[in-house]
Amino acid sequence: MSAFFQIRNLQVSAGDTVILKGLNLDLHDGEVTALLGHNGSGKSTLLKALARQLKPRGGGLTLRGEAFDSIRQRDFAREVGYMPQYPPATDGLTVRELVALGRYPWKGPLGRYRDEDQQLIDQAIEDTGLRQFSHRSVDTLSGGERQRAWIALLLAQQTRCLLLDEPISALDVVHQVDTLRLIRSLAKKRGLTVVMVLHDVDLAARFCDRLIALKNGSLAADGSPQQTMNTRTLESIYGIAMGVLERAPGHWVSYVH
Amino acid sequence: MSAELTTRSLRLPANTALIWTLGLFAITWPWVGKLPLPTLLAAIVTPDTDHFDQIMIHYAWAPRLAMAILIGAGLGLAGAVLQQILRNPLASPTTLGVESGAQLAIAASSLYFPSLLAPSPDITAVSGGVLGTGLVIALTWRLGFSPVTVILAGMVVSFVLGAVNYALLLLNGEFLGHLFIWGAGSLVQNDWSQFQTLWPRVVGLALAMVLLMRPLQLLQLGAGSARALGARVIALRLLALALVILMTACVVSRVGVVAFIGLAAPALARMLGARTLQQHLFWSTLLGAGLLLLADAFAQLATQWIGGSLIPTGTTTALIGGPMLLLALRGMHNNHHSPTHSSEPATLALKRRSLWFPATITLTLLAAVVVLSLSWSPSLQGWQWKSLSAWPELWNWRGPRLIASVTAGMILGVAGTLIQRLTGNVMASPELLGISGGAALAMVALSLSGMSVGRSGQLVAGAIGAGLVLTLLFLISRRHRFSGHQLLLGGVAIYVFMDAGIRLVLSSGDTESMKLLNWLSGSTWLVTASEAWALVVMAAVLIAAALLCSRLLTILPLGEGSAQALGVQVPVARVTLLLLAALLTAAATIVIGPLSFVGLMAPHMARMLGQQSVVRQLLLAALVGATLLAAADYLSRVILFPNQLPAGILAAVIGGFYFFWGLSRHAQR
Repeated sequence: MSAFFQIRNLQVSAGDTVILKGLNLDLHDGEVTALLGHNGSGKSTLLKALARQLKPRGGGLTLRGEAFDSIRQRDFAREVGYMPQYPPATDGLTVRELVALGRYPWKGPLGRYRDEDQQLIDQAIEDTGLRQFSHRSVDTLSGGERQRAWIALLLAQQTRCLLLDEPISALDVVHQVDTLRLIRSLAKKRGLTVVMVLHDVDLAARFCDRLIALKNGSLAADGSPQQTMNTRTLESIYGIAMGVLERAPGHWVSYVH
Repeated sequence: MSAELTTRSLRLPANTALIWTLGLFAITWPWVGKLPLPTLLAAIVTPDTDHFDQIMIHYAWAPRLAMAILIGAGLGLAGAVLQQILRNPLASPTTLGVESGAQLAIAASSLYFPSLLAPSPDITAVSGGVLGTGLVIALTWRLGFSPVTVILAGMVVSFVLGAVNYALLLLNGEFLGHLFIWGAGSLVQNDWSQFQTLWPRVVGLALAMVLLMRPLQLLQLGAGSARALGARVIALRLLALALVILMTACVVSRVGVVAFIGLAAPALARMLGARTLQQHLFWSTLLGAGLLLLADAFAQLATQWIGGSLIPTGTTTALIGGPMLLLALRGMHNNHHSPTHSSEPATLALKRRSLWFPATITLTLLAAVVVLSLSWSPSLQGWQWKSLSAWPELWNWRGPRLIASVTAGMILGVAGTLIQRLTGNVMASPELLGISGGAALAMVALSLSGMSVGRSGQLVAGAIGAGLVLTLLFLISRRHRFSGHQLLLGGVAIYVFMDAGIRLVLSSGDTESMKLLNWLSGSTWLVTASEAWALVVMAAVLIAAALLCSRLLTILPLGEGSAQALGVQVPVARVTLLLLAALLTAAATIVIGPLSFVGLMAPHMARMLGQQSVVRQLLLAALVGATLLAAADYLSRVILFPNQLPAGILAAVIGGFYFFWGLSRHAQR
């Protein structure tokens, strides 16, 4: 497997606070990765750095071996899609109009949307189960529906990589599982690289190939669910007494003592 | 690390101290040679009545100084409270219609009911101010005083009343020169009586505002969370608004408009690092007082230099405050502290409608106005319908100005939409970006210099002025990657600066300045056929370019992060759009003057009519703008026949009333 993202000695700080302290990681093509860790551990910051949303203070980032700085903005957006933790207000856009913005990296400010673009947009709306909301204004939707609308935008963007910051935080259990299942099946079908910040370790272990945990801006754990889902590793990540049950192969339940 | 922290925390006190020291020094300096300092200080309290200088100090200099500090502090505090309620860094007491109401009341009563002013101008001014804000409050009552609607209604009320005021001045120019001075804020004192009546009110209102601090703090979280924490949001907003209005009205009735303090002091405090509400209120108060002190010193010095003609303090406030705001903006490192309205949905109307219905109605209206304009008008024999056969002949007189109005309206509608989308601020408009002000100031300067270069020379000067302002805007906002709030604040600073310059020129009241006032308020009767057609060509090119940018305009309001993630090169896109908006504004300003405010109103009307997506909003805003200005042009010609009123003023009035109607209809749903 070739490295999709290469992270070398990545340092990020906000004002005087150091958030990431010299991180080294390779994220591989076609892998679904979960970023775990307690609040303030630097998960979102890492994701933002991968999405080129912030400038690191030191270290290097490459996308398929190309340095981040040398990639044009629209080319980058064709490769990497990013969903922020708090999607911004959309000021009157309908769901379909929002999702259609996902075609921008491919069409630019003037390029005409062809039938295939329309199909991709419809497909993305269909996949996220938003068809009946297609002409509703995004501002009037519930939090979960809004989150799915932004996921649909990413799907229409047709990137090789999805960076998702807590994509299921506003969803109920049914939609959480549905959304993760959708992301996983798309990832496997199209060979997508997915990196997402998740808070639910059990769901992460169930739907991801690799779990990466951060603690205070450094790497705390990195490995397959098999390697991570044990008492010792979880306790070292979260710093409280925990236990893990394996109910079936590849199906863990963690709990707090 | 700690050193950096200390320098940052020292910035606010150091800068405030600097402004105060400069102000105090400049205001004392003329006396230093005449009197020793101890005598001067003693004379403030107990003057030696044998010395003229000491009498001057006791009865003129010291009260004026005290007034400057008192008023500056009051306005600074009121501005900070208002920005907290409305959560928009562009909000200031001026935005609520207090000052324009008071000013109009004074102007109208000095023309038609001079007896009202005889006992005291206070009552007239305060009731005018209360009427102005009453209108704003009545319009936004049912919407729970939501910040966006209060700001919009307040601005439109201010513009409408201001336009009526300008119309009065134009029709009675010879009598009202002094009103320009009063309107521009003059602090001249004759004894301590004014100060003594004013200080208890200001202090009382200030105390009431400080008592509201804790609930006001909750508003920072947005209306929803504030309510969840037990604040009665609507009552709180109403109470705080009332305090701000009272404070402003008290001050305005005494000294006229020195309103820029209310915008500049809170903005400066925030940029220099005031973070919490307590800090913000405290430093805004101190900075307000310091700023006005400095401005007043400047006004006194300028009056002495020029000799004779009085330089109003309100004008120098803007002349000093504007550049200071720009400087602070340059030094500002982040925009985390600037309040935004993004947590509450910014939109006025979420309803959608097909484009055809409103477009057809607007087009029909436009056609009706064109027909009326060409055929039905008063002559010396009374109102007459002209037959179709007379049209070619009539076209020679009425065609150019009609075409120019329609095109300028379209241009302004498009420019307004562009700027509002670009900055994501409902208060943004081409007028407020200072671009039209730049064009205006250049033309004013040209005509003052005495060179007679004709219309074409004026047009070139206007274009150069607009270009200069644009360059300045670019330089300021480059550091902030051309993001909305900084751009707008910079624009407003420039606008206020320009406006003060123009007022200064106009306060001289000679014939030349009356001509300028005519142009400034948008006189379409000066337009020639070749100019009109040149404008049409420019409009066609620029509007086509704007329509091509529609996809960018949809993405940019989502914020820098999302736009970047979609592959937009945000700074490049912003510069392109800003350039386009500036060109559009300059083209329209040269014909219609800087005062029509069609660029503010037309985009909002398009949204109220149900057009939410960019292309539709652009198209309908253009149509609405065209109809507004065409109607204004027609009315300007016939309403006071054989006299002519400037169309820009009428556009502000017509558009304003239409806007009120839309807002009240919106409230009923």
